[in-house]
Amino acid sequence: MSSLPPRPTLSQARAKLYELGYLKSRIERFVFHRALQSIAVLLLPVVFAGALAVSLAETAAVAASQFRYGESPRAVGLLFAHLYLAAVLPSAVFAAILFLAAGRSRRPGRGAAVFGLLAAAGALFLWIFGTLRLGPERPAAALVWGIPVSLASLLFGAAARATFLARAFAGSGRLPERPRRAILVFAVAGAFSVAAVLFATRREQVHPAPPLPRRRGEAVVVVGIDGLALDSPRARDEPIARRLSGAPAGWWETHPASPAEIWTDLATGVPAARHGVRALEWVRPLGVPALRPPSGASWYLRGVGLAVGTVARAPVSAWERRSLAFWEVAASAGLPALAVGWWASGPWPGAAVVENREVLARSASGIDADSVAIREFERRFEGQRVAALYLPGADILRSDPPARAVALRELAPFLDRWIARARLGEVVLAVVTADSHPPPGSHGRLFVFDGGILPGAGIRRIRPVDVAPSVLARAGIPAARDLAGRAITTLFRPGTLDPTTVATYGERIAPPATARPETDREYLEKLKSLGYLN
Amino acid sequence: MSDAVLSPGKRIRPLVALAAGELVRAKPVGPLAVAVAVEYVHAASLVLDDLPSMDNAVRRRGRAAIHLAYGVATAELAAVTLLSRAFEIVARESGIAAEVRARISGELAGAIGAYGCCGGQAADLAADAASVVLDDLEAIHARKTGALFVAAVRGGALAGKASEATLEALTLYARNLGLAFQITDDVLDVQGDPEHLGKDTHRDAHRANFATVLGIESSRALVGELLDTATAALSPFRRRGAVLADLAGYVRDRRS
Repeated sequence: MSSLPPRPTLSQARAKLYELGYLKSRIERFVFHRALQSIAVLLLPVVFAGALAVSLAETAAVAASQFRYGESPRAVGLLFAHLYLAAVLPSAVFAAILFLAAGRSRRPGRGAAVFGLLAAAGALFLWIFGTLRLGPERPAAALVWGIPVSLASLLFGAAARATFLARAFAGSGRLPERPRRAILVFAVAGAFSVAAVLFATRREQVHPAPPLPRRRGEAVVVVGIDGLALDSPRARDEPIARRLSGAPAGWWETHPASPAEIWTDLATGVPAARHGVRALEWVRPLGVPALRPPSGASWYLRGVGLAVGTVARAPVSAWERRSLAFWEVAASAGLPALAVGWWASGPWPGAAVVENREVLARSASGIDADSVAIREFERRFEGQRVAALYLPGADILRSDPPARAVALRELAPFLDRWIARARLGEVVLAVVTADSHPPPGSHGRLFVFDGGILPGAGIRRIRPVDVAPSVLARAGIPAARDLAGRAITTLFRPGTLDPTTVATYGERIAPPATARPETDREYLEKLKSLGYLN
Repeated sequence: MSDAVLSPGKRIRPLVALAAGELVRAKPVGPLAVAVAVEYVHAASLVLDDLPSMDNAVRRRGRAAIHLAYGVATAELAAVTLLSRAFEIVARESGIAAEVRARISGELAGAIGAYGCCGGQAADLAADAASVVLDDLEAIHARKTGALFVAAVRGGALAGKASEATLEALTLYARNLGLAFQITDDVLDVQGDPEHLGKDTHRDAHRANFATVLGIESSRALVGELLDTATAALSPFRRRGAVLADLAGYVRDRRS
């Protein structure tokens, strides 16, 4: 007699049916169906969403801080396209790491949440840090950009999380015990709040009317001699040093800085973090104005893009400068102003400007450069009230001491003429010497000839940013309180500096720059031939 | 043939086909053809199932079984005719693309053949009631009942050019629904009222079924879990899966 098979318990029956393919909706297999078909399909959403979030974050950082981008939708769009292409590779690397990690994950829920957070946080970090680093003074604009950046970061995080789960599921057939979707939303909202607080601490630039000069007096002439350090005993014997000795003077030392940066500090009265000029060379993605590379995109803008030709080098120009130079402030205040050969100088209403590139283009050597600059300066000086002249000869000829000595000797007659005019009270002469060699930083001096020389006036420590407010105050223009520098009253005739102040000179908003790639190339070549660039 | 097709039944399989077509937003004509074909196949399977050589049933859908009303030969001819008519309906439906019609025909043929009703019925006839275990029952009814549910839902969805992922989700739904339907059928066979059911009860007293192998309580519990699973498989479709989910609810509550 055969016995009946034992009746299975409910849990045994359930287990058996599960084994036979029932009682599991395997909804995840449906959800991830496409993703599981191929690795490419699985990873593409992460790559594309990542590129979107990263490039949007970088574009936002540039647009909110390098203000002309924010005013040009075309420039923003083209920059975004460049940065998107650039971001595909790092996003692909991230996706590959995610893929490997997910394949080994024992806790897919936690792993997916971590990778989702990493993705979103990475994009948000690029936005916040990049905006802060590039010099944000437009918190409102930066926060408006934060909205699309946050959404894109959320998308990137969600894509990373879903891909992680899909990959982990493909390996184990299990889904996380507890979904952690909300954590991404909270994280992005938190980051946005942090950004709002950080940006709110920044000052919104205002654009007040230029201040009017209070008094009219002598013309103020600033002569900058680059590559000349007068703080070594040997240097004191140089002909220039002998002519400058005895004048009230200030000296400074700064951290390492490029010539463009230090001479722009001198001209604007603010440090590079404010005026934005840090290097002799910027980059210009095709179809896009020159920019400082945002965080995370340098590898493309300074590396791959240059190699493949989608990015070109761009020499520094006034276009990148966000703060007014003293001759521009003077011109805005209605004083005739002149600038010849200064770094990062450019056209400005009311000012006669001979750009650095124009001087160098007409010079075959450092001696030539000084001659051209002096000739242009003296030809245009008459009638000017504030004038600036930059002489690069000594710096260019640094590696050729005999030629450098010749260049400095040829400066002597020029200085003699202007010191004589200063002694006669026709002009106030400020001579600035600066040198970035030897390392570790820039060091220089300011000599002031304001009427008769005061013998034994001595030398005191100043900062490069003090030069511009001093010159402006001597020209009768109230100093702006938001400048980093302060007028050095002890270097000038007592009572000649305007003691009044205004809140700010505002931001430098120049007319849109005309694209001059040909000139840029020539300028770059010239800078290289003169030893400025490698 | 009319008696076999038009006698009062639940029509759940054609409803499943129509609902699947609606889910994928198909034009009604395609899923309707599939629904009719599926019901013809089901009617044919009932006629064959009731034959003396098979279950030898007396009543079906509240009426005398077809072979008792018209004779065995006529019943057999009617069943074969219904099957061929089912394929004819699909093949002639110009509202469905030719390649899709071929695919739907394949689904129907699969639900009828060795891996469908016929294979399941053969296994059922060959099974020894004394030694049948859950695996055997599943193997029988996945083919006898489940296969046509699957064909119905896939056919209806195919008429609307459903994606493979959608088909996969709907197949999961139909498999779980089909097994739940069969277990419910077996429970009702043990507990139901013949008048209410419209067919013989305790037919399977000499054959093992889910109710006898698992017990009534376990069977009912599993029906609930299977239907929950079937409903869960519809969650990606959100509101579009509402009708199919309602049909699962109907199976949960059915008394006949």
